[in-house]
Amino acid sequence: MMRYDETEIIVRFQEVDEWGIAWHGHYIGWFEVGRMELLRKFDLLPRQFSAMGYIAPVVNLKCDFKEPALSGDHLVIRTTVLKPEKAALTFCFEIYRKEDQKLLAKGETTQVLMTTDGKLLYYIPNEIKDKIDSMIQYLNQP
Amino acid sequence: MRVEEIINDRDALNLFLKELIIRTLKLEGITPQDIEDDAPLFKEGLGLDSLDALELVVALEKNFKITIPDEHVGREAFASINALVTYVQRESKNQLNV
Repeated sequence: MMRYDETEIIVRFQEVDEWGIAWHGHYIGWFEVGRMELLRKFDLLPRQFSAMGYIAPVVNLKCDFKEPALSGDHLVIRTTVLKPEKAALTFCFEIYRKEDQKLLAKGETTQVLMTTDGKLLYYIPNEIKDKIDSMIQYLNQP
Repeated sequence: MRVEEIINDRDALNLFLKELIIRTLKLEGITPQDIEDDAPLFKEGLGLDSLDALELVVALEKNFKITIPDEHVGREAFASINALVTYVQRESKNQLNV
């Protein structure tokens, strides 16, 4: 079982809707916070992807909402990546409220790899694969 | 039939590939007869997308030990079932010497 990388945020006042709960779209942004923190550790941030000649657009997104987050809640975003079986990267996320450890949402995103001039890659280039392998190794540590 | 026999029999390969596509992509409610031999597999034809292409690349590699190296070659191979049959036959001959 892969472990999760964790990062924390606090729900801001402007992120809740008129019912006083976090607007559903923000969870996707919070997934992004978790993913960027993980990617940063392995030099795979979007600008680093671009520098290698690639982009990784999201082609699939899922999110199950379990409990509402409220303004001021301290959230823990847990992020992991699945071992790729094809030339795509799937990140899985869980968002917990830190105070009561309640699961608020879980989801996943899938990205394909393309060259910066828009060609879909059918295989993960070695320079990216090496970094993904390191990420998986890091997430497999007990 | 062995894989080598399927590869040499265009009709058998046609059916095998249709079944492989349905099974790999979990296309519910679609039978091999529903897939037209000359219709595009992507977008306006069978309606497959980029993730489906990547799944098929892996499935073809597992079943026939052939690779589709990039999207340029993929456009040719995935143009239709007939095109895919031709591609698999041609590439398999290089791999298996059948």
